[in-house]
Amino acid sequence: MTPLLATRAISRRFGGLWAVDGVDLALGDGEILGVIGPNGAGKTTLFALISGSLAPTSGEVLLEGRRLSGLPAHRVVRAGVVRTHQLVRPFPNLTVAENVAVGAIHGARRAGGGVAERTADALAFAGLADRAGQPPATLTLAGRKRLELARALATAPRVLLLDEVIAGVSPAEAQALAALVRRLRDERGISVVMIEHVMPAVMTLSDRVVVLDHGHKIAEGGPLDVVREPRVIEAYLGKGAAEART
Amino acid sequence: MARLLDLAISAVLLAGLYATMAYGLGLVYGVLRVVNLAHGGVIMAGAYLGWVLHGRLRLDPYLSIPLVLVATYAFGALLYRGLVRHLPRGAAGGPASLLLLFGVWLVLRNAAYLLFTGDDQAIRTSYSTHAVPFLGTWVSVNRLAVLGIALVIPVALHLLLHRTYLGKAIRAAAQNAESCTLVGVDVERVYTVTFGLGTALAGLAGVLSATLFAFNPASGAGELLKSFVVVVLGGLGSVVGTAVAALILATVEVFAILVLPSYLTAAVGFVMLVIVLVVRPGGLFGQRVLG
Amino acid sequence: MSRARRSLAGIPLRAALPFAAAVGALALLPLVLDPYALNLVTLALVMIAGALAWNWMGGFAGQVSFGHAAMFGIGGFVAARLLLATPLPAPLAWLAGGLAAGIFALGAHPTLRLRGPYFSIATIGLGEAARLVFTYWERFTGGASGLSLPIVAGGKEALYSWALALAAAAVAASWGIRRSRFGLQLLAIKADVEAAADVGVSATLHQDLVFALSGAVVGIAGGLYASYFSFIEPNDLFGFDRSISFVLMCVIGGVGTVLGPVLGAIVFVILHQLLLASYPQLYLGLYGLLLVLIILFEPLGISGLALRVARRLGRGGPPPAPLVTSAAGPASPPGAGGGGRGLAP
Repeated sequence: MTPLLATRAISRRFGGLWAVDGVDLALGDGEILGVIGPNGAGKTTLFALISGSLAPTSGEVLLEGRRLSGLPAHRVVRAGVVRTHQLVRPFPNLTVAENVAVGAIHGARRAGGGVAERTADALAFAGLADRAGQPPATLTLAGRKRLELARALATAPRVLLLDEVIAGVSPAEAQALAALVRRLRDERGISVVMIEHVMPAVMTLSDRVVVLDHGHKIAEGGPLDVVREPRVIEAYLGKGAAEART
Repeated sequence: MARLLDLAISAVLLAGLYATMAYGLGLVYGVLRVVNLAHGGVIMAGAYLGWVLHGRLRLDPYLSIPLVLVATYAFGALLYRGLVRHLPRGAAGGPASLLLLFGVWLVLRNAAYLLFTGDDQAIRTSYSTHAVPFLGTWVSVNRLAVLGIALVIPVALHLLLHRTYLGKAIRAAAQNAESCTLVGVDVERVYTVTFGLGTALAGLAGVLSATLFAFNPASGAGELLKSFVVVVLGGLGSVVGTAVAALILATVEVFAILVLPSYLTAAVGFVMLVIVLVVRPGGLFGQRVLG
Repeated sequence: MSRARRSLAGIPLRAALPFAAAVGALALLPLVLDPYALNLVTLALVMIAGALAWNWMGGFAGQVSFGHAAMFGIGGFVAARLLLATPLPAPLAWLAGGLAAGIFALGAHPTLRLRGPYFSIATIGLGEAARLVFTYWERFTGGASGLSLPIVAGGKEALYSWALALAAAAVAASWGIRRSRFGLQLLAIKADVEAAADVGVSATLHQDLVFALSGAVVGIAGGLYASYFSFIEPNDLFGFDRSISFVLMCVIGGVGTVLGPVLGAIVFVILHQLLLASYPQLYLGLYGLLLVLIILFEPLGISGLALRVARRLGRGGPPPAPLVTSAAGPASPPGAGGGGRGLAP
């Protein structure tokens, strides 16, 4: 069966460094796929390659077997694959609702419905309805992460690429955001690839986990199996740690 | 054949001037992420400064260089302290710093017009017309001197940036200003010095240019454009890149005279800029930040 | 949500009524004004249209152009040539000039892949290149001796009415763009090109459209300006000062606002008239000084001042969206990203 989203040997070189090197990824319809790995493993670069912000040096990205790589970022969005940013990037000169409306313009074009309805729906889903008229600067970090989610949701995506949407907020907020991610899949049928540092969230949310290190995929499988693999422990804790644990 | 050699030699000599113009713009952008739109205005001001020192005090333009450097450095440092410092920078700064420095340029232009009228001027020395034989053709000593200075500057800059504490602080600030503050580097001071240095280099380019070409208060737009082409083409902080980029621009300009009517040659820089930005947005040598 | 609905829906009466009243009152001005004053108001109206059009590019999309004189000049000279060579009625000639300017702007497409300072410097080059080429193209522009135009049918009063119509249309268009999906996407591009692309906004397409539109309207303004002076020369229409004037009008009034450029253009025309009469050698420097002071102390110009006053009087509503500078913007460390950051993908 063709996966919903797949990368084939996707690679990107910066100067002499392979930031992402021959990564194969497959995301099933309705799946939540966790992507973990130490800092500098190439996770965010991988997202940039899938979303079209960066062109791959080699390899390709496929959505239901159709080639996405080579398209500019805005066309990838229109195909139904949308990313959020680790460092949230709201449009500071627009209100919260207007921020979401920018995404809704393309969501309405893709999936029908009015821009206003889509905007209202995404705001309500993200719990931001009462902040609609305010500038994003008045939101807390968790609020801006919700905004980032709402803006992406408004584009009516089939696949969401969430870059550390949970990290950096209070434990209570983290739980709320994790619940939102689950509802994206359960209620909206959106498939999710999430980069996350907050391990409990990855463990409970993900159906499957992919581990990257130095641009390579070093492990893949169920969340609990993956973290027991010696190569993964080694990547996180350094050589020797794996032996010490066993 | 002799004509081609002539043109090739003038391209190399001109490249020296273009590289000199570009260093200051590149340095300021590399460290502060501000495009100094007043750059062309300072080049014009440097030219007038050299011209006044030569005309009033009988000071040789090459001997006046230290004075011009000091004066334009002070101007640049003041400009940063008084104006640029108060604006947001980088992507978040939007057009504010652009517009502000553009305003400074207009003021400089008007001041030059009031002081010196709009007439064309040039620095004429006793040796302005001297030339030495080279490969069967003649090369102006003036142009050779300009090229010589253009070759000294990158070496001096390199030594400053890599061998002194100040230079290391400048490079560090270019990489990550926040960490600099954390380890006790006075980033504001580094920025002031950098802006001063960049402005002083523009002033120097002005004097050098004044020994070769006529100028008036409206000069500067072309110089800004050319500096920018070199910075974009050559990449930031790459000495070799800057030299090669200046050579490419100068060569294209010099040889354009062969095929284009003279009034169109002024548009060459612009066309190059567009081509470069579209074909190689990262520049030929990438965008290393004062590495 | 109410805010979004309001901003995406039809025209509220609260804005339409004062607008209609102002246009009506201005339409009656020729009955009371002497010719000198009427001329000045005509000029101001032409400049209002030009400033508003610049603002779509510089204020809404955040692309500061120092080269709009190119489109102004092309519009002016194409209209002038048509009026001299054909029996075309003046308004059609102006439209044709605008069309030519719009097409020229589309031709500048490569520069629109650039953002921020890259774009601005490219437009300096664009403007200078256009000025040189058209000054030397004597068979078309008359070179340094310029062109004389036939008198417009209906004389100064007719010109005034057309200028008023153009300015009113430009105000309505600004208002419409600011509230449209198109405008929303322009503002998103201005804030963060990459984040905009990541929610589906094509920066290139939108900037092409807005630059062509902006160029066309500036071109029409150039045509009216040509007929208004009935004598034009390339150094005036294509001059660097001309490009600066569009920037300055918007900065004085408030970059990115709807009414700012209108106020800015009025102030600019009056100021220009006074300065040119009393201090012809000083005006460029005074413009520069004005630019520095406004950016330093009130980046939103007159609009910013008005908002401050309104807030002090206690009826200010929500704080204005920061359109020129945004301290709240994505704080990018100066070292990050490299020059590629300024480029559209």
